[in-house]
Amino acid sequence: MNSKLPTTIPEYLEHLRRSLAGADPALIQDALYDAEEYLRSELAENPGRSEAEVIAAVASSYGAPDEVADIYRDTEVTVQTALRPPAPPSRKSALGRFFGVFADPRAYASLFYMLLSLATGIFYFTWVVTGFSLSLGLSITIIGIPLLILFFGSVRVLSLVEGRIVEVMLGERMPRRPLYTVRGRSIWQRIGDMFTDARTWSTMLYMLLMLPLGVVYFTLAVMLIATSLSFIAAPVLVWLGIADANVYIDGWQLLNIHGHVVSTSLPEWVLPVVFVAGILLLFATMHIARGIGRLHSLMAKHLLVKSSQHA
Amino acid sequence: MGGSEDQGDVHLRKFQKELSAGTVSLALLAVLGSAGEPMYGYQIAKTLERLGDGVLSGKQSALYPVLRNLQAAGLLDSFVEPSDAGPPRRYYRITDAGHAALHDWAGAWRATRDSVDAVLEGTRE
Repeated sequence: MNSKLPTTIPEYLEHLRRSLAGADPALIQDALYDAEEYLRSELAENPGRSEAEVIAAVASSYGAPDEVADIYRDTEVTVQTALRPPAPPSRKSALGRFFGVFADPRAYASLFYMLLSLATGIFYFTWVVTGFSLSLGLSITIIGIPLLILFFGSVRVLSLVEGRIVEVMLGERMPRRPLYTVRGRSIWQRIGDMFTDARTWSTMLYMLLMLPLGVVYFTLAVMLIATSLSFIAAPVLVWLGIADANVYIDGWQLLNIHGHVVSTSLPEWVLPVVFVAGILLLFATMHIARGIGRLHSLMAKHLLVKSSQHA
Repeated sequence: MGGSEDQGDVHLRKFQKELSAGTVSLALLAVLGSAGEPMYGYQIAKTLERLGDGVLSGKQSALYPVLRNLQAAGLLDSFVEPSDAGPPRRYYRITDAGHAALHDWAGAWRATRDSVDAVLEGTRE
């Protein structure tokens, strides 16, 4: 061991955080949580011993901070790859990459996330706006302050919930454990910490942003799916003899269903072109969904997790 | 860890690491499968420390990520409960899928152990 052993739990955790610098922030948060659980349990099991003694004992069973950091970096990789479903085979040709998106579960999950984000976006936005203004407005009375504290706590819980959704659907590693509050601080100091923690504020920003983003994601997804599906459906229906081509009812329509009459304004000769365009657009939609999913997960990571590294 | 370690030690370390990747998951499932009641991380680590030898006697911090991943795979489920002597604890409990996996893995383990033993029989000096 090249460095001096820490003598208090916060020191140990600080050392561990330093050793893990540069690792995935979600992994750091989980590692700190686990270490603190172990250390505090060990301390509780041995009431007669001092913190420094307990930490010295723990260094050989649980590991010194540097060792723990190495273990987390390692296990994360091996266990993850052992238990997770295999990644889809990477396709070499440009054509294979373009059409291969259909076999990628991540693309479907991202598409679903885009549709879901309207609902979650409305909920988060309403929650933050209502909770914040209500508790701030009432804070001149006695019930405002507890309400504000309750609201800040709820924002933290929602941040973990959204983290789960993002990880499951978009595949970005998000923390599964909350940050431990700093021990040895009074309840009032801990409440104060909640207000000065940058993560609380960035989480609220994320929740506000989710409404406009959710609207855009939902609209994009629905529009792209509807357009590409009707591009495909119109020619197929004409070829099956169900729909008539070159029909105008109240202007130009891609696909019109009016009572028993199904029709399209497209002339016969463009149908094959439209059909191919529809297929291409459907695949492009999956690519767009996957791309948006990736961008969104980066943003979520930044606003919901990143700052916890310095907390 | 420095460059002073001799080659054999490095090979042994690498082998132990590869060996432990799957066996630790099996051991954790087995501990929780036979416990009959939910246990928290520290308890599990201590149980394994009492019983475990070889690759299972490694650093206990390695167990937590495995627990978390077993949970993510649906083989364990967990809940948090406040404790009077320390921080809130996360308790783990084996699921039905976990019992099934434990059964399958134990079978695979025994088959592997027997055949490895049989192969090693020939190398005995």
